[in-house]
Amino acid sequence: MERHKSKTKGILTVIVMAVIFYGYAILCYVKPADDVSATERRPLAQMPQVTFESVYNGEFSDSFEEYAMDQAPFRNELRSAKVMYQSIVMRRLDNNDMYLSNGYISKIDYPFNEASVEYATGKFRYIYDNYLADEKTSIYMSIIPDKNYFNEKLFYPSYDYNELVVKMCEGMEYAEYIDIMSYLEMDDYYQTDTHFRQEKIVDVSEHLAKEMNATVDNAYDEILVTDDFKGVYYRQFGMPMKGENMYVLWNTTLEDMHVYDWENSKEISLYNMSALDGEDPYELYLHGTLSLITIENPKATTEKELVVFRDSFGSSIAPLLATGYKKITLVDIRYLPANMVGNFVDFESQDVLFLYSASLLNNSQTLK
Amino acid sequence: MVFSSMTFLYYFLPVVLLAYFVAPRKVKNGVLLLASLFFYAWGEPKYIVLMSVTVLIGYFCALMIESRRGKISGKIALVVALICCLGILGVFKYFNFFVSGFNKVTGLSVGFLNVTLPIGISFYTFQLISYVVDVYRGTLNAEKNFLNLFTYVVMFPQLIAGPIVRYQDVVSDLETRKHSIPMVREGILRFVIGLGKKVLIANQLGELADTYLEVQDTSVLFAWVCAIASALQIYFDFSGYSDMAIGIGKILGFRFPENFNYPYISSSITEFWRRWHMTLGGWFRDYVYIPLGGSRVKSGRLVFNLLIVWMLTGLWHGASINFVLWGMFFGVLLIAEKLFLLPYIEKAKVFNHIYVLLAVIISFVIFDAANISQAGNMLADMFGIGGTPFITDESIYHIVSYGFTLFVAIIGATPLVKHLSVKAMSVAEKYKLDAVLEAVVLGLIFIIATAHLVDGSFNPFLYFRF
Repeated sequence: MERHKSKTKGILTVIVMAVIFYGYAILCYVKPADDVSATERRPLAQMPQVTFESVYNGEFSDSFEEYAMDQAPFRNELRSAKVMYQSIVMRRLDNNDMYLSNGYISKIDYPFNEASVEYATGKFRYIYDNYLADEKTSIYMSIIPDKNYFNEKLFYPSYDYNELVVKMCEGMEYAEYIDIMSYLEMDDYYQTDTHFRQEKIVDVSEHLAKEMNATVDNAYDEILVTDDFKGVYYRQFGMPMKGENMYVLWNTTLEDMHVYDWENSKEISLYNMSALDGEDPYELYLHGTLSLITIENPKATTEKELVVFRDSFGSSIAPLLATGYKKITLVDIRYLPANMVGNFVDFESQDVLFLYSASLLNNSQTLK
Repeated sequence: MVFSSMTFLYYFLPVVLLAYFVAPRKVKNGVLLLASLFFYAWGEPKYIVLMSVTVLIGYFCALMIESRRGKISGKIALVVALICCLGILGVFKYFNFFVSGFNKVTGLSVGFLNVTLPIGISFYTFQLISYVVDVYRGTLNAEKNFLNLFTYVVMFPQLIAGPIVRYQDVVSDLETRKHSIPMVREGILRFVIGLGKKVLIANQLGELADTYLEVQDTSVLFAWVCAIASALQIYFDFSGYSDMAIGIGKILGFRFPENFNYPYISSSITEFWRRWHMTLGGWFRDYVYIPLGGSRVKSGRLVFNLLIVWMLTGLWHGASINFVLWGMFFGVLLIAEKLFLLPYIEKAKVFNHIYVLLAVIISFVIFDAANISQAGNMLADMFGIGGTPFITDESIYHIVSYGFTLFVAIIGATPLVKHLSVKAMSVAEKYKLDAVLEAVVLGLIFIIATAHLVDGSFNPFLYFRF
């Protein structure tokens, strides 16, 4: 009787485990390889080629393991299961450096990377020395805090943002610093994305413009473009969350603006609605990652022009700044190397604003 | 290939198990041998020849030892086998270490060998030595069938990280072994528990232990927490891997020896080493300590014997001064216990456990550090030397974040989980749910472990260094 019971117990365990084990293994063998991971925004490892050399030196086995992990069936679902297990069962405060606090996903960006800030100010110095030093331009610099700034009083590790400001000011003594941190709050940002919300930064654009002796519009219509915005952090974090409302601002000044994409030599719209169906809906603002854009404002009551050196945060605030200038030029030196900027931009009497997020300055290796 | 990898779990193992169970009984060893050679060659095909040559030497020397028993040529065969096995191990594992030391002492610049450490060399060398010596002692017959001996040495479940299986442990299983559903079930149970220990506990503790080197504002408390995490990581990593090896062995019909028995509940270092890496301790006892005279000698000789054994134990773990110091640290404690401390320790209830845990935690700081200087820095932080603050905000964050993982690991290192599982199963049995409970729990552990493997490439296996 006992022996029969033990055998029954054994059979059930063996059957259940065999189904899981062989079921998943078969899926591993038959699932076609995906090209990219939308969640991580990177190409996925593909089946490595078998060569004598790669097998002999062990490269093949390393590449195969990368392939096996990248192409695992139900990869995103399993990653979510891992995050939920670590967060809910094991009470981990972060997963892969990402954490949820008061409904907002943030990514730990710690410690303060002085070398990175020096690298960034070195790139900006190159721009100043080569294009700006001899021109009669007013140069400004401002820093957009990341969400960790607002969690400073919470438990999560974050560096001293004052130290970042001091280092940036020391490295850019030729620029006037404009503080916008006090104009921003956590709810000015998306819950599931790294960026701030356009409809929440009108006051920031006003303050920036005022400090640069310009006047920008402050009256806009808020147009809801989706109620299911899920930003880049949503996918990286892995936990299920509700989509958010996403708005664009609109008024008659913006309506008449001419936006030109110099990278692809074509006129584009201020907002690219088709991005809502893409991998990164935030790219609807000025079509996302373009290296060089000009926005001309026919309704401008001034001859002032502005050149903005910027990262992705600049895409949503630039249209608002453009209402106060005849023309603004947006330069992203992550995609247009600093030593080539002079080939495309004439620096004469424009104002220049270096507007960068704290997270980019602390991780500036992408600046060229 | 490590067990806790997608390649092993979902590409290698399913095919091998299918081929193994489908194959007729007579060719099962052949399937196992081929699978094991593929397993070894996967990461390091160039050293497969070295391993095969070592086995061949052991095979022929053992045959000669047996056929020339009592004659000088039999002894020569033993010496040849030992010199070859230890020579190969010495060249590939220790040559550069000793040359480095020699150069430092003499100021000369003798060249280094451009070789990498062959995976599992310490394990299979020791297995072969035990085989040849056992044949020499007459406790084992020399294996006539080379394929049986080769299969024993290269058998993939125990090839790269033990347990150190002796030939007499598996010789009968190699020739005639039975396969049964209860044994497969036991094997699955053991394998999944081992996988969970490795992936869900050891890897997470490894992240915490690594954080020690990354934090800006360390603290005394954090240094202790990381040292404890590191000691637990090593235990869960290695015992988890041993569980997986024993589990696969059982699925295939083999009974491998146990390697760990809750070492952190020991009340003396002597007991700790009876519970930690038991097959290695047994190997050094039977093939080094006892031949040197064991403990039935005068005090001076006993001290010498123990220092030799523990220096070698340290060196076995790695060609680095860290490991030598780690071995000697235990050697000194064991000598003190053997000579005078043990009676006092046995009386000191609770304190004896604290003493063992403190000694082991400190020893693993030395063991796990990249070099002596790093170990020194961590020990200095642990004891507040150099003005290290007691606590910092940054360290509180990490301690809280990994707090529950650490708690689970501490509980898991005691027999409590096993007792609770037995109780839970007996309650479930009353409602005839024990079989379902077991299947569900194992399935969940397996899926969650897979989720962790898929999520990241953080999967170092500590004992690969040996």
